[in-house]
Amino acid sequence: MADSDLKTILLSLTPLALGLFGAILLVTPLRLFQGIVPTPIFPLAVIFFWSIYGPKYLPAPATFVIGVTQDLLMGGPFGVWASVYLVAQFVAQTQRQYFYGRDQHVVWMGFCIATVAAGLLLWIEMSLISRAALPVLPLFAQMGTTMLLYPMLSLAFSSVHKRVIVER
Amino acid sequence: MDVLGQSRQEGVGRKETRRTSLVFLMSFSFVMVIFSLYGANASVFDKARSTLLDFAAPVLNVLSKPVKWVDGRIGDVQDYVNVMEQNKQLREENDELRIWMNEALSLRRQVSYYERVYEMQPLPGAQFTDARVIGETNGPYTRAMILNAGRAQGVKAGNAVVNAEGMLGHIIEAGQGASRLLLLTDFNSSTPVVVEGADVEAILAGRFNNRPQLRFLERRDGVVLQPGMRVVTSGAGGVLPRGLPIGEVSRVTEKMITVDLYANYQSTDLVRVVNFDFPKDVTSEEEQAPEAAEGGDTNG
Repeated sequence: MADSDLKTILLSLTPLALGLFGAILLVTPLRLFQGIVPTPIFPLAVIFFWSIYGPKYLPAPATFVIGVTQDLLMGGPFGVWASVYLVAQFVAQTQRQYFYGRDQHVVWMGFCIATVAAGLLLWIEMSLISRAALPVLPLFAQMGTTMLLYPMLSLAFSSVHKRVIVER
Repeated sequence: MDVLGQSRQEGVGRKETRRTSLVFLMSFSFVMVIFSLYGANASVFDKARSTLLDFAAPVLNVLSKPVKWVDGRIGDVQDYVNVMEQNKQLREENDELRIWMNEALSLRRQVSYYERVYEMQPLPGAQFTDARVIGETNGPYTRAMILNAGRAQGVKAGNAVVNAEGMLGHIIEAGQGASRLLLLTDFNSSTPVVVEGADVEAILAGRFNNRPQLRFLERRDGVVLQPGMRVVTSGAGGVLPRGLPIGEVSRVTEKMITVDLYANYQSTDLVRVVNFDFPKDVTSEEEQAPEAAEGGDTNG
């Protein structure tokens, strides 16, 4: 049916919209707790979650769009966040068989591994571009915040996924 | 709570046809990164960045409002709690400032007298554009802010940006109605400065924390840098005006000299873009020759 096709397409845009919202959040002056806590990398959680539970709702081009938008919004070198997000998606999708339907603690561990991989890649790419070994502390702080926040985000995402997208 | 994907059969096991596009886009983005290695400032990237900046500015403007409202309320509560202490502090500061004001006024008179006596050509003044911070780049490896003023308001790449406390950084990208301000703490930020009291010129380089360092110091015998010495822009390079306050030397070790910035980024909301045009009528000898000839003709 054309009608239901359109609906599927529109609904499947939800993860993309959430990812783009996350990218915009990263350039909003949130200054959490007087700026001590860095803004979590919200799109990373979106990408990991839907790579496990609904890859067809977040295809690689959507991830690419989120990454490139973030690159342009942040004003950094082109392609860095796009590659980081796509690698995180690759890690998640290749391990999907294992994580799908597992206890949330296990999935959380999976997210932490994907985040470490993403962080490592980000550090390597940014260090290469800056032609210097960049400090790792800001990276640890931001990735750590994202990891700690994942269980909460995952709860919210599963509710969105079940009620809005899959419509059970 | 039921766990998503509990019946593990659903969805898994289907042929993953999406993997190909994922691998392709992954490779493509790596190529882009390699390209960025050699052409990070390629004009096509700059154009894309400033276009998206203009698109995102209205969204950021709307988003930043509730964030600032909440921030303001938190600030209010803190103010109520500390009202007595703040009052005392402000009184003391006011007394101190009054003394400084009188001194500044008499110094101003003296300077204008000397300028008249020596027939000095005063430096061109800078133009200021007021702007509001509507965005702040919160990545681990970028320290930047987005301002709601762009080319239409006269903001240009290279302009310094200050707030009431001191210099914040400089504009690296100017869209039509928004611009990006690279903070002094960013790794890619390097600002020519001079350490007052020691008259030592250096480059202030960001290192992704609140204390940038002084590099490429022009070493002089007998000159010792000490914590507390003021660091201001030197104006070398002709992009920034001389004397914008930046901070104070905070720690001096064998390896590194760090600077405490005057500006507090966490409470920065309103800023001023300093549009400074360095006097450019200094011409080289080749350029001067025909001009002199022309001048001779008209005079003769």
